[in-house]
Parts: sequence; structure tokens; C-alpha cells
Amino acid sequence: MTGKRDIPWLLASPGILLVTLVALLPAAILIVKAFQDVDTGALTLENFQAIFDSKIFGQAFWRTLRIAFFVTLVSVIGGYPLALLIARANPRYSLVIFVIVLFPLMVSVVVRTFGWVVILGPAGIVNEALMGIGLISEPLTMTQNEFGIVVGETHLLMPYMVLALLSVLRKLEPQLEEAALSLGANPLVAFFRVILPMTVPGLLSGVLLVFSLAITAFATPLVMGGARTPLLSTLVYRYALTSYDWASAAAVAFVLAVIAVAFVAVQKTVAWMWMSRHEF
Amino acid sequence: MNSDRFLLPAPVEALLWKLGRLLFHGVGLAWQLFMVAPLIIVVVVSFTSASYLMFPPPGYSLDWYREVLSLSWIRSAVTSSLIIATCATLIAVVIGVLASRVLAKRPFRGRGLVEYLVLSPLFLPGVVIGFAIFNVLVMIQVDRVAMPQMIIAHVMITLPFVIRSVWASMAGADISLEEAAQSLGATPAQTFWHVVLKSARPGILAGAILAFTFSFNDVTISIFLTSSRVTTLPVQLVSHIEYNPDPSPAAISTLMIAITLALFVFLARIGGLNAFLER
Repeated sequence: MTGKRDIPWLLASPGILLVTLVALLPAAILIVKAFQDVDTGALTLENFQAIFDSKIFGQAFWRTLRIAFFVTLVSVIGGYPLALLIARANPRYSLVIFVIVLFPLMVSVVVRTFGWVVILGPAGIVNEALMGIGLISEPLTMTQNEFGIVVGETHLLMPYMVLALLSVLRKLEPQLEEAALSLGANPLVAFFRVILPMTVPGLLSGVLLVFSLAITAFATPLVMGGARTPLLSTLVYRYALTSYDWASAAAVAFVLAVIAVAFVAVQKTVAWMWMSRHEF
Repeated sequence: MNSDRFLLPAPVEALLWKLGRLLFHGVGLAWQLFMVAPLIIVVVVSFTSASYLMFPPPGYSLDWYREVLSLSWIRSAVTSSLIIATCATLIAVVIGVLASRVLAKRPFRGRGLVEYLVLSPLFLPGVVIGFAIFNVLVMIQVDRVAMPQMIIAHVMITLPFVIRSVWASMAGADISLEEAAQSLGATPAQTFWHVVLKSARPGILAGAILAFTFSFNDVTISIFLTSSRVTTLPVQLVSHIEYNPDPSPAAISTLMIAITLALFVFLARIGGLNAFLER
């Protein structure tokens, strides 16, 4: 009995069914598992008690937030000039930068992280150069630690920041800053009083997006961080497949999922609030 | 920006302006270098003659290409990755086109819900979904994961990319063409096949390329589903990099960069880069 109004649901049903069965239902089962006793299956909070008591979880939790903070910060610092250049350079140069920023998005994250391993490794170009000019005598440790993860994840996520900024910069007329300049503002004033305030929505959505992606990034911290620098995401993996402690893995996964979903909610709310206040 | 010189006639200020602009371009250039550096380094290192990772290479050779092309674990990983990505893309495109059609056409009750449901894999952390699927497979006692499970999981992670791309191109399509076809007596199926699909072709193609790329590159989900029977190239690369600091990953990576570049150029040609612009 499918009436005309049911057709949309019918057409969408393969997609809905797939996502429900392969992502949402397993995720729901995992949440239940996080609240279950390993042996009896009774509902309990002891899995969370266990991870909150463990030193490694606490370290991983704060390390995850710390790294996400620095990744977001550096993405803004680097993403802003890149986005400004793309928006304001002549068309040909603008396209070149656009391609340079976008292309890495399609390249395997393993390849990109491996590139940083080669650059930052003990015999990498940075260490060779620094030792060559005699600035250091021992190679600096820049992989298998937080520094390496920050560099790798920044490279991973900077394009998203640039895209978020571009989405607002493209709507700004160049005449705006020309007007400010012709009225006697110097470029710095023009930037901070005219351009920056108008890009706040893009900046905000970029910051929220990059921060949430940095928290959930997996392959980069796995390759760059090694076993000694676990983040929440790699901790789920290590609990699940190295120490076979699935109760703890489920509890950590739950914490990670809550943070990620909360961020998406904040991001959507902010975007919605902005849209309803300023009609673009 | 060109009017600054006569507005600020003092030579000192003019010089400052020039310096400022130079600094801005220099900073921009540095960040561009940051974006391309790891890719370039990987390509250069892949031609090294040394047996360990070192930059700059002491000499150049094609040894590592010969090495990786002869390794059986690489061959089997590449083969299964290609099979998985191809099957997942084909299925995701069919499912995704149907769902996009629904989302792009006139509003109906619950459209927001459909949208959230089909795009939800984007909002959950990959590692959570990966472990969740693994957990279910263990629960229903599929103890040795094989190709079908891997393909189904990859359809799920690539579906949102297909939908976003196809949806965007369908939303921009001219609805009057469709109406014209129908008023000329075409059945809904004929209209869909000849008019809707045809006008959405660039979006479908772009979505397929993105799906293939992201499926082929996936680590997070695949690493939980890897078994002795089926594994993927990126997952194998991760474990290889962890235990062997030799340049063979550089050779594989260079081949992957080359293929990705070809796909990227094709994507740009059909206007698919817009898929990145509108998120």
C-alpha cells in the first residue's frame, strides 16, 4: 500500500536502511555495551569508573583537547592568509593556491602523514638542516610525540579552515576594503576593522569544524604518535585490538562520540543562529 | 589596493606598504610550501638508492619501485583495495542517486530526518563506527571478516559524499525540462532515466570519484575489519610504517599521489571541485 506521498521514503529507504544497520544500530549497541558489566551484562557505570580512574585515559583526554586546540590555532594562522590570497590574488595565482590547498584533501592521510615522518624524523630534512648549520648536535624528536601529531593534523585539516573562510570571503566585495583604504585607513586597520569582523561566521564555523575533526582524527595520531602518545581515538583502537579490553574501548568510544556529536550540535546551532540573525 | 600609492605619498610609508605586501605574500607562500612539502618529499625520497629514510637522498634509483612491485603483500592489498573501492562506489552511487533524488525534489514530511539519517556517518567519529561494526560482527560471530563486510562498510562511509555531490547537482537542475518530458508523455521512469540522470551526470561522476578516493584511502574503518583474508593498502601501509623505517612506503605513496592527481584533474575538469566549496 504505497501512496504517492510514500515514494520519497521508498526511494530513500536503501540509504536509510544501510546507514541504520551499518552505522547507527552498531553505535547504539556499542553505547549499551559501554554501560554493561563485562561478565553479567547488568547495567553499570563501572566501565566509566575504570577509565576515569586510569592514568592513561586522563592523559589521552587532555592530550586530545590540547592537540585539537593547537591544530585549530595553527589552522587559523595559516588558513587566513591562504584564504585571503585565494580571494584577492589574480585569477591564475588564485587557482594555483586553491589547487595546492585542495589537492591534499584527496591524497591518502597515510601518505600525507608519512611525508611528515620523513620531514620531521631523526634523519629528516629538518634535523639534517639544523645539524648542518650547527644549531643542534643531537637530532630533535619531532615524531612519535605531540609535536608531530599537531603538524600532521594541521596539514590534514587546514584545507577545511581555508574553505570555511573562503565561503564568506567570496561574498565580500573588494570595494569594501578599497573604500576603507581610500577613506584613509591603513591596511592593518582596514583588515581588523573591516575584513576580520565580516569573516567571523566563516572563522567560527571553520574553528568548530577543525576542532571537532582534530578530536576524532585517527590515522595521523596512530602513525605519528606511536604507542606512547595515545589520543582518545587511538586509545579506542588500542583497548579494542591490542589489549582486548572491549568494555574500556566502548566507554572511551562513548566519551569520544559524545564530544563529537556535541560539537556538531554547537556548530549547527551557531550556523542557524547566524543565518536567522543576518540574512545572507 | 592599487590606489594606495597616491593616497600615501610619503616615500617611507610607501616603502612600508610594499614591505607589508611582500610580507603577506611571503607568509602565503610559506603556507603553500607547508601544504605541498610532505607530498614533494615523499616523491623525492621514493627515488632514493639508500635502504633507509633519509633526506636528501644520497643517490637516486628505481630500486624501491622494483621492490614494491614485486612484493606479494602489496599486490594483494592493492587488488583488494581496488575491488572494495570499485564495488563500494558502484553501490553507493546507486543508493546515493535515489536518496539525492528524494532530497532534491519538492519538500515532504520528514525530509530533514532523511537528510540527517543518510548523512549521519559524517557526524560520528570514524573510530567509533569502526569499533561498533567490529563489535557487532563479533557478537553475531562472524569471526573471519571477508570482502562483503568490508564493501558494505565502505558503502556506508562513502554514501554521504555521493549524496552531497549528486544532491547539489540535482538541486541546480532545471525543473522545467522534467515537466516538459512528462507533458510530452514520458513515464516517470523514462523521465528519470533520460532527463534527471542526464542533467545530474557531472554531480554523479564527481560523487563517484570522491567515493572511490575516500574508500580507497580509508584507514579508520578498514583497520577494524582487516583480517588474514582481506586487508587494504592504507592499513598495510600503516603497519609497515610502524615497524619498518624503509623507503618502500614512499614508492607506493608516489604511485598513489600520481593516481590521485589524475582523479583530481578529472574532477576539476567536470567542475566537481565545487563539491568542496559548498559543504
